[in-house]
Amino acid sequence: MTPWPPLLALLIVVPLTGAVITPVVGRTRAVRSANWSLGVMLATSVIALVLVVQVARAGPFSYVVGGWLAPYGIELRFDEFGAVIAVICLLGTLAMVFSRRYAARAMAEQRIPYYYALLLLNLTGMIGFAVTGDLFNLFVFMEILSLSGYALVAVSGEKIAEMAAFKYLIMGAISSLVILLAIGILYALTGSLNMADVTERLGGAPAAPLAVAFGALTLGFMVKAAAFPLHIWLPDAHAIAPSPVSAILSGLVVKVGIIGMLRVYQIAYGSGAVDMRTLNHVLMWLGALSIVMGAFFAVFQDDIKMMLAYSTISNIGYIILGLGLASSYGMIGASVHVFNHAIIKATLFLGAGALIFQTGKRTLTDLAGVGHAMPWTVAAISVGAISIVGIPPTAGFVCKWYIALGAVQAGHPFFAFALVFGALFIFIYYIRMVNAFYFRQPRDPAILEVTEAPASMLVPVLILASLCLIMGVMGSVPLSFIEPAVHRLLLPLGGG
Amino acid sequence: MIAALWHNLDYAASVILFCIGLYAVITKENLIKKFMGLNIMETAVFAFIVAIGVVDGGEAPIMGPGVEPPFINPLPQALILTGIVVALSTTALALSLIIRIWRQCGTIEANELREVE
Repeated sequence: MTPWPPLLALLIVVPLTGAVITPVVGRTRAVRSANWSLGVMLATSVIALVLVVQVARAGPFSYVVGGWLAPYGIELRFDEFGAVIAVICLLGTLAMVFSRRYAARAMAEQRIPYYYALLLLNLTGMIGFAVTGDLFNLFVFMEILSLSGYALVAVSGEKIAEMAAFKYLIMGAISSLVILLAIGILYALTGSLNMADVTERLGGAPAAPLAVAFGALTLGFMVKAAAFPLHIWLPDAHAIAPSPVSAILSGLVVKVGIIGMLRVYQIAYGSGAVDMRTLNHVLMWLGALSIVMGAFFAVFQDDIKMMLAYSTISNIGYIILGLGLASSYGMIGASVHVFNHAIIKATLFLGAGALIFQTGKRTLTDLAGVGHAMPWTVAAISVGAISIVGIPPTAGFVCKWYIALGAVQAGHPFFAFALVFGALFIFIYYIRMVNAFYFRQPRDPAILEVTEAPASMLVPVLILASLCLIMGVMGSVPLSFIEPAVHRLLLPLGGG
Repeated sequence: MIAALWHNLDYAASVILFCIGLYAVITKENLIKKFMGLNIMETAVFAFIVAIGVVDGGEAPIMGPGVEPPFINPLPQALILTGIVVALSTTALALSLIIRIWRQCGTIEANELREVE
């Protein structure tokens, strides 16, 4: 049974309309906009859930917007990789709940509705990006989420927030342009913008423009994903943004580069016109470098959010490495890490946000001993820390194990070594954090008087922390869910 | 080589424009100049995509009496219309960010801002 077809379109229309209306709803009382956007997000989550169940049962399906058949019309396509919308909706909903207290304190009353509108727009952009089957729509959705992302970074009101947002904007805009250029080249080569259609027509295209197009797409998406030498915009932007926004940016927005890369692979492998081996080699090295350098920088951070931001670079490295390996284990591990890292990093950022909200301090030195004052929050952060290191039985273990297996399978055991080396670094700085929270002498005894975070902050953090454990124990569910998609993707390479 | 470049003058021009823009973004310290570099890059990409749709001797694809093919491909133009809207919003956001940086830090020179940080 296929679900009512326009459901796929509603998935985008509901949050988009909701976002536009939010400032109107919250015009007289800001709290209404919070309730409204939460309601919109819940409705979207229900739609997303139906679609994910459908794709798990019957495989990918598509919806043709306005009844104009592909390749002329715009097609929305939902496959297993698109199931990332489930995480987008989950984190979006929890971030909305978390934002209630945060926004009330951090920003002026009349600004709050716009904050929620931007947050909804950002989530809409990501949902659209994940489900579109059209290259130009991919660009448009990417711009929706990027623009709202830049604005959300600037919202926090920290002293260098605008500068961080501007840096993010410049890097983001350049990468978008490079991607648009590549889309233009692909259109010139094939005369089509529909991804499935482009894949079919790409065979026999001249090699040089193809190389430029795929190189440009990769470069653009790697900037979005913040792979190591292209990461310079990330630490400031993610550390300065309001904590719920950091969770969204770090958990989801950087994954846009990864999902984009998966779409690039679908076109490249599906058409068989492009030799991806050189590019894959570059990606493997980029991934390994990101793992080690991200972890290396994170060790020296004292600011808790800055540390988490560098940790994101390191974890994105794992995903990029898994993609570059182009072996089935590596690819499965990477795709599942997109989901799992989103959950883990949201746990950590929201937990850190709750700490900062209650104590007003953000460095590890100042936060020493906070574990005794806010036991639940710190327990959740510890679960997140264990997960991100990849200690079984938590969510991080499964994916990293699969990526390591993938490295061996692809005949590059060296990269498995880089992966373990990175994990050791990650272990060091998270141990440092947990140690500071529980065992170090508080610098200022006043920190022991701090009360536990309010329920609207604590509950999202605890839900996410328990998901870290559940995803670890039931690690085989997402793996077997994503497997058919990866096999379909790698089929032209001779199985996987 | 030269002949091929001359033949594809429109593409070559957009690549050159793109590089000029990138140069400005990287080397200029003034945030507004940096952003103008980005605008040049945007224009270059837009020009490139519009140029894709050009057909030699083609006419605007507007139906009416006495209009004969070949037509210019209208799709890239429609895309770039959207692209321009995106570029406009990016510009608006960037300029408002620059205003706020100016108010907070009293300077919009990147090297002086690094000292403020």
